[in-house]
Amino acid sequence: MNLLNYVEGSSFLHRCNPITKLAAAFLYGMACILCGSIVGELILIALMILIAGTAHLAGRAVRLTWRLLVLGLLMFLIQLFFVRTGDPLVVVGGFTLITKDGLVSALLLSLRVVATMLPLMLLFAITEISDLCNALVKSAHIPYRYAFIVTTAFRFVPILATEYHDIEDAQKSRGVDLDTKNIFRKIKLVVPLTVPLLVSSLKKVDSSAISAEMRGFAMRTGASGYKEYPFGMRDAVVFVFLAACIACSVLFLRGGMYLI
Amino acid sequence: MSTGNILDFQHVSFAYHADRPILTDLSFTLQRGEFVALIGSNGAGKSTISRLCNGLLKPTLGTVLLDGRDTSKVPVSKLASSCGFLFQNPDRQICENSVYEEIAFSMRAQGWKEEDIAVRVEEELNRFDLKADWYPFERSRGERQRIALAGAIAAEPELLILDEPTTGLDYLECIRIMDYVTYLNREKQITVLMVSHDMELVLAYAKRVLVLCDGNLLGDGETREMMKQESLLKKARVLPPQIPELALRLGEGFEDVYTVDEMAEAVLGGAR
Repeated sequence: MNLLNYVEGSSFLHRCNPITKLAAAFLYGMACILCGSIVGELILIALMILIAGTAHLAGRAVRLTWRLLVLGLLMFLIQLFFVRTGDPLVVVGGFTLITKDGLVSALLLSLRVVATMLPLMLLFAITEISDLCNALVKSAHIPYRYAFIVTTAFRFVPILATEYHDIEDAQKSRGVDLDTKNIFRKIKLVVPLTVPLLVSSLKKVDSSAISAEMRGFAMRTGASGYKEYPFGMRDAVVFVFLAACIACSVLFLRGGMYLI
Repeated sequence: MSTGNILDFQHVSFAYHADRPILTDLSFTLQRGEFVALIGSNGAGKSTISRLCNGLLKPTLGTVLLDGRDTSKVPVSKLASSCGFLFQNPDRQICENSVYEEIAFSMRAQGWKEEDIAVRVEEELNRFDLKADWYPFERSRGERQRIALAGAIAAEPELLILDEPTTGLDYLECIRIMDYVTYLNREKQITVLMVSHDMELVLAYAKRVLVLCDGNLLGDGETREMMKQESLLKKARVLPPQIPELALRLGEGFEDVYTVDEMAEAVLGGAR
């Protein structure tokens, strides 16, 4: 299942203004960056899963968290062995391998990566890209050309993910062992997986540009859209909630490199 | 060559989501050397079956045996030695800078020796009328499809799966591809499983047809026989080829008419 596709619904989050949702994803990410404690990051991740639950997306949020943890693990390992400050925790032959500060900051950074990316990923699940584009033009008065560039980039993420999956299937069918543990073989696999993706993406860019021109892309103005995207009370509630989140991150959860 | 079944579907069910089954209790076998077409409307489960054959998908229930190996227990990369796969879109598999390297790719992935690879690639280049130093991405759609097919069969699989192999090809390229597939089937005894919407193509090349509808096997039989089963094809939401349909409507005297030549002969014979 593609975890970045839009899921239809009529929940509180689905009905918010698309710009509110975009801003909320970034502001929540900011709260995660400002938060300086491990427990704080865990709370923010759990809170985001609960929020996703109000839109019946808790399962998807958990699966996304799980996948983001793989990226988090990579960040964890890099940070763990590169931070040299703090009391030694693991010493091998007189050489300090892991320090306490290294462990804590590695945990914090990896959880922060997960917590920051989770709301941005969930944004795709509750917002139709065309709505986001139209709202940026109508409500935020961004020129259509630029709104289109931004939203098209978002729109292509799930398409490219599907394409990548199909390319994986094609190469596995030819005998390529994608599950190899050998790091050198894994590096070699970059070519058969990324070259077809790059070629098909460039072809898509060409055909999309021609298709857009044929449908009068240059004629489009801010008034061309049919739907209106007014801000309402629920948008205000979202912004108040986010202000509270950021305040909590700064006032209560910004504990430096500590657990709490 | 060994005999018996190359592919064995035993009570296979499959679902992407637990509440929406795609295939239900499907059983069939492919004998070595057969040329079988899988037909049905969109969403009938044809592509799902083709991906179950080489282990890209694992059955939710039941067993798929490819050359006697359970596809659920063997990695796809290992099953590739028994099963070549030609995808509808050749651009998903082409990744090398020359046709030579592209054809050699699957053999290298399966651990062939360089001297054996050189011999096989040379054979395929001649057979498919390709040049070793062509840059694959700049060739026509038909040529890219030929490159992909050459790559799929280079490692000498026993089963070849074709997923809509002639989509987007002109008539001549289509004939060229299908004539070569027929050669592989007849001369090299490679079993072919072809997924297609093109009933004319199915009638011209396949010897046996599996008719799918909503994940169930509605019919399984000799191609000509199946093409005259109007009610079955209608139920599967498949339009029969024109000549057999016309022959059915004309009735007596046209029972064994399936091709243009046979129709011409029947009509002219009647006129005489």
